[in-house]
Amino acid sequence: MTNAAVLLVEDNDINRDMLTRRLTRAGLTVISAADGRTALDRMRNDSPGVVLMDMTLPVLNGWEACEQAKADPTIAHIPIIALTAHAMAADRERAMSVGCSEYETKPIDFPVLLAKIYQFLEAAPA
Amino acid sequence: MIMERLGLRARLYLASGSILLLFAFNVGTHLWGSYARSESVLAYRDATEATTLVRNIEQGLSTENQRVQVLAALRETNAPIGETQREQANDELTSISDQLRALGGLSNTDTEAAFRAFYKPAADLLNEWMLFYGNYNDVTVPTSLSPETYTNTLEQLSALSDQHNNVAMERSTVIDNTIQLTDRITIIAFISSITITLVLILTLIRTTNASLFRLRVGVEKFGAGDLTHRIDENRDAGEIANLAQTFNEMSASLQTAMADLDDARSDAEAANEAKSMFLANVSHELRTPLNAIIGYSEMLQDEVSDGVEIDRDQFNHDLTTIIFSGRQLLALINDILDLSKIETGKMSVSVEPFNAAGLVVQVCDALSPLLAQNNNRLDLHVEGAKDVEVESDAAKVQQILTNLFSNACKFTKNGVISVVATVDDDTLQLSVADSGIGMTEEQQAKVFQAFVQADSKTSVNYGGTGLGLAIVSNFCDMLGGEIALTSTPGQGSKFDVSLPIVPA
Repeated sequence: MTNAAVLLVEDNDINRDMLTRRLTRAGLTVISAADGRTALDRMRNDSPGVVLMDMTLPVLNGWEACEQAKADPTIAHIPIIALTAHAMAADRERAMSVGCSEYETKPIDFPVLLAKIYQFLEAAPA
Repeated sequence: MIMERLGLRARLYLASGSILLLFAFNVGTHLWGSYARSESVLAYRDATEATTLVRNIEQGLSTENQRVQVLAALRETNAPIGETQREQANDELTSISDQLRALGGLSNTDTEAAFRAFYKPAADLLNEWMLFYGNYNDVTVPTSLSPETYTNTLEQLSALSDQHNNVAMERSTVIDNTIQLTDRITIIAFISSITITLVLILTLIRTTNASLFRLRVGVEKFGAGDLTHRIDENRDAGEIANLAQTFNEMSASLQTAMADLDDARSDAEAANEAKSMFLANVSHELRTPLNAIIGYSEMLQDEVSDGVEIDRDQFNHDLTTIIFSGRQLLALINDILDLSKIETGKMSVSVEPFNAAGLVVQVCDALSPLLAQNNNRLDLHVEGAKDVEVESDAAKVQQILTNLFSNACKFTKNGVISVVATVDDDTLQLSVADSGIGMTEEQQAKVFQAFVQADSKTSVNYGGTGLGLAIVSNFCDMLGGEIALTSTPGQGSKFDVSLPIVPA
């Protein structure tokens, strides 16, 4: 078990508030960002253990943020879970192709998401 | 080649006309040859007849001369001649005289001079002999026979005979020449007729084949899919040109039909793609409020069941969020249902009298929370519509205004939303203007289309399904009105709606 934080990237205030509170209640340290550029900055500065990334984001969208993260060797190892309301099969493939490790559609199945987060946090080097 | 400039019928007419002309020429040559031959033969026959006459006359004269000489010698012995004998002599002389006249009848320009030279002494000789026979028994009359006359007559006859022989010789030469000439002309005309006929027929076949070949190549190319191919109409004339022209016209309309079909297919494909996009958007939009509803509900359930004391204010706030998301979901579903009703023609208009100014104020009041959300200010003017009853579908007018107003609030921050309602003679004018982000011309062109948003990123940044303006535009149509949009990127948008205040 590591204390590394979970970075939640979500532009919708309601959904960000809701997930932050639920993940905190589950015992995780949550840091957040509301756009893709801020998300990249926080990945570099705060070294989160896992990233939950909404794909439809202002300034820099989730797809581009993922690609840039995977192109930066200092943060490329951080696993990214795509969280999106885009539920088509093509969206999942696209998320994998830009470097996401997992894909979850909204509405979120919270226990499943939690299990995936723990899986990545435990697999990460201490 | 001139044949290529002619129609099929004209080519056949030309060819058969030429052949008939050549045939007529052949027949004419033949007739002329026959005529020339018969002319020459007639002349030759005259000449030979004359020769025969000359011989007979010569013989008659000779026989008569011998008899006269014998009788003259016998007259010394005084033996008178009988009446019968004299008549016989007269007949013979008359016969000779007839033959002379016949010979005269056969004479022509070539022999006339010779005949006259002969006829004079011959007539004298016959007279002499006539007198000799008449006076033979009357011994008192002396015998007066002139041997010169006879000799002279024979000489002249011989000359005439030569002349006639010459003429006959000439005639036969002319006949030979004529026969040779007409034969040659006939053969030449025949051979050239055959040659020209063959050339004409071959040319006819070749040019007609070439024309048909061009048609066939054209049809084959078109059939193989080259819809732009056209047959050169100017290479032919008449029926074949008409055929080529008809084919080209058919090709043109077929090409147009194929193009229309292509257009229709791409339109259908585009519409299909737009619907798929729309479905994806609808799915996305439904999931966003559902995520909040489910997430907050599960969270509240956890909080209730874990025994920790509940923060009532926080709990109430979370419930409000759930309700807000639920209402957003409902509005979305209503929009989709409205549009599908409009599209399937199931949306009806119910006209009733209502106060326009009252309705506008009511809508603006109801939407004031939306106004406050982005810190916008309302500038409302309904003086121009006060105390006027209009007849229209109040629910639809209300939705038009609601959609325009909420759009204005959504795309404007810290700005002014200006709503103006006026009624003139027969029109209700509603205008909603904002000082928001505005639209480019390209976006303006698409903004009223169903299933299409001004920008696919719009729903990401501002929410909505892009259905609001499509519904507004459809409602304006249904109420017999119009909607106009003026917008400048970065400065704001203005929607002007004009609706008839009594039903049409």
